[in-house]
Amino acid sequence: MQQLLNGIFIGSIYALFAIGFTLVFGILDRLNLAHPAVFAASAFVGIELVERGGLSLWAALPIVFVFGAVLGLAIERLAFRPLKGRADAHFAGLISSIALAGMFIALLQWRYGPDTRRFPTGSFPDTRFEIAGAQVTLVQVVILAVSLALMVGLTYMVTRTRLGRGMRAVAENPTAARVLGVNVDRVTAITFAISSALGAVAGVLFAINVNTAQLGMGAAIELKGLAVIIVGGMGSLPGALIGGLLLGLAEVFAVQYIGSSWIDVIAFGLLFVILLLRPQGLLGARKVREV
Amino acid sequence: MLDEYATTLTFIALGAIFAYSFYAVLIAGQLSLGQAGFAALSAFAGAYLAPSPTDVGDVPALLIAVAIGMSVGALAAVVLGLPTMHLRGVFLAIATLGFAEAVRVVLTNQEWTGGAQGLGVPRVLTVGMAWLALGLVAYWFWRMGRSRYGRALEAIREDELAARAMGIDVGRHRLAAFVTAGAVAGLYGVLYAYYVRLIAPDDFDFVAAVEGLVTAVVGGSTMFLGPILGSGFQTIVPEIQRAVGVEAGWIRPFLASLLLLVVILFLPGGLASLIRRRTRLPAGAADDARADAGEGPGRGLAGRHHPAAGEPVVSLSGLGKEYGGVHAVRGVDLEIRAGEVVGLIGPNGAGKTTLVNMISGLVPPSSGTATVLGSTIGRTPVHRIAAAGVSRTFQHSKLFNRLSALENVLVGAHLVSRPTFLRRLLWLPSARRDERAALRQAVRCLDRVGLADRAAARAEALSYGDQRRLEIARALASDPSLLILDEPAAGMNHVEAARLSELITSLARDGLTILFIEHNVGMVLQTCTRVVVLNFGEVIASGAPGEIAADPAVIEAYLGSDEDDAGSAGSGATAAGRDAAPPDAVTNLTPGAAGTLDTPDTTPRNPT
Repeated sequence: MQQLLNGIFIGSIYALFAIGFTLVFGILDRLNLAHPAVFAASAFVGIELVERGGLSLWAALPIVFVFGAVLGLAIERLAFRPLKGRADAHFAGLISSIALAGMFIALLQWRYGPDTRRFPTGSFPDTRFEIAGAQVTLVQVVILAVSLALMVGLTYMVTRTRLGRGMRAVAENPTAARVLGVNVDRVTAITFAISSALGAVAGVLFAINVNTAQLGMGAAIELKGLAVIIVGGMGSLPGALIGGLLLGLAEVFAVQYIGSSWIDVIAFGLLFVILLLRPQGLLGARKVREV
Repeated sequence: MLDEYATTLTFIALGAIFAYSFYAVLIAGQLSLGQAGFAALSAFAGAYLAPSPTDVGDVPALLIAVAIGMSVGALAAVVLGLPTMHLRGVFLAIATLGFAEAVRVVLTNQEWTGGAQGLGVPRVLTVGMAWLALGLVAYWFWRMGRSRYGRALEAIREDELAARAMGIDVGRHRLAAFVTAGAVAGLYGVLYAYYVRLIAPDDFDFVAAVEGLVTAVVGGSTMFLGPILGSGFQTIVPEIQRAVGVEAGWIRPFLASLLLLVVILFLPGGLASLIRRRTRLPAGAADDARADAGEGPGRGLAGRHHPAAGEPVVSLSGLGKEYGGVHAVRGVDLEIRAGEVVGLIGPNGAGKTTLVNMISGLVPPSSGTATVLGSTIGRTPVHRIAAAGVSRTFQHSKLFNRLSALENVLVGAHLVSRPTFLRRLLWLPSARRDERAALRQAVRCLDRVGLADRAAARAEALSYGDQRRLEIARALASDPSLLILDEPAAGMNHVEAARLSELITSLARDGLTILFIEHNVGMVLQTCTRVVVLNFGEVIASGAPGEIAADPAVIEAYLGSDEDDAGSAGSGATAAGRDAAPPDAVTNLTPGAAGTLDTPDTTPRNPT
């Protein structure tokens, strides 16, 4: 039971991270490899807000959300918009976002140094609950609640609002969307902002969960994020949620029953099998090629 | 002097070789990150299995290890490639990345690899050997560039479907590119192992794979010098920063990343785009081609067997295609014989393109049987249908956009030209002869559609009408028995359309069987020997142009049943070049009347 809950907590963070990843891919057909850098940057910024700004953990979250959104706008402007209309936009977008990620990480190193950082002692409330014999901290409950709330909010926005309709239109066919009066550039920018904001919150939650932030933390989750969005289905939001939870659970149970050194083989073995049997992922729709 | 920079130079060479393993697949439009896994397997296998340099000497030990490593890399690529080659783009990248990560974890957990501590390997590689290896790899890709194989890979990158229709076996070519990548990555792994003294599985992790990819793309993934330039750039930038006294810490990675961003944003095509790419048209090729004109397939080209006039080329019986309950094509019986020029007309959505897609093997039929030039449709892959002698153009141009007009047509000649890559590696004169033969064929085809003077232009830079004509030239280059044109005159102005009409007539005179879809009914009636009318997926009329123009069912399909409307819409176009047309024949039918948005017919007509 304890393992199950731990798996769900870590899985919800993976899901939140992966949803940001898959949002950009699903709507804009671009893989934004600066996403993990946003994840890392926001963890450091979150720690600074608590440490120097004296904010409580929870007050820092909305600020980090906004910070992530701003980074998202910067990523779109610097790494993706200049490539618009280029035949190699796919490859070039990968590389330009990698380059921007490198710049973000370098800036983090400039501001915070290369060392691991932690939240100041006493930032976490001590409240604990007992659920069916398993220990759960208030912090973990809040992590889960925040992740779920953001995912529900995002789903509502995409399916019910005017902006969400614009996003889906752009995903379907950018040219047609533009003809029909959707401001494609704005929708693109907002998509990046939301995606990065979610990645940023995931970064802080992750830092809270393990109480550390490292420069390399983004790279570590990047692979997992990719695995999750493939398993769930590229561009599928519920798929990313399920994929994230599955990965969290698989990891926790793998550590217990198989040994920690084999975690990645399981994750990628699973990934590989899914790609071969169902390239569109568990919940992804197969795109029909047109002649 | 050289010693001082030996380490830097060696790393440039190693980085470039690794980048070539990415280049090998990027050139075919594949994004793979599995090269790190190939390199890891090869490095450990080579270092573990090869005899020690103290027993057999430095160079033999290294050579044996290289042989082992390249074989292991190639083999791993076959094993990984067979199940994953159907994946595209990011999906392939992530699947191969998954493989690389799995390899890394497995190696870390093995005893013989030394686990995370790594495996000690004697340093044997010198800067000279590294550059020699790089030279060989670069030579390979240089000679590949202008061979038939290299062009086929580029064609697959630009447009996979069109490449298939030109008779290229895409699956085999993609796998070949992937195996090349595996072997080159294996070479890198072994050389790296014999240089750094201690290898650990983490040397070949995700970061290393991304580094290799970045190097290849920064250098330029469409030109063989790209990886070397990329590696030089990636290795030298930090060195220069150190030399000019930029402090270690955050500034160096920041500047390196910034430069990378600038290069990728402002140099599409990478650093190699700074080098002007020469579009080769050897002097004399054009003259040769003109001298050859009319002689049929030139020397050095594979001869084609064409069916004799009157032999069946296409036989369809009860052919149908259903899309989720919608019958796009239903119960079509049709026979086309060699030498015929068949026009396929019908309102939009009548199923013309679907029918043509089935005939060319792109879409499998859901019912009925079809034989095209001896191949059964449905089970035969597109490239085999093309090899049987079917060549086509597409409704929406599917050119290889970043290749020159000439290269487009050369790809079209894939089926009639001979493979030249291996002979080019050895500089055999016969390869040169065959290349020139293909070139002559291409120039001849360009000349035939009137594009000879645009040979060096990129396909995407051509005007719309020129692009359509280039597609026809490309289709002609394979010396087909059956030529299928899908709305060749769409979007052409009346002068261009008239010239196209002449071209089709002259091709038919040469004995080519032609099937073409066109909305320009006037043009169809002028050029075709037989017209087939399709409506709601069924053939409603088939016969000589004169009969078709007078057929009440056809008039109804186009204009509705109101006779008066039909009469007025058709007036003024009654004498469309065919004396046989009855007085009330509708020879130019207003396409708008069928609820379409096609360009109106503006072909000049000569009243007789």
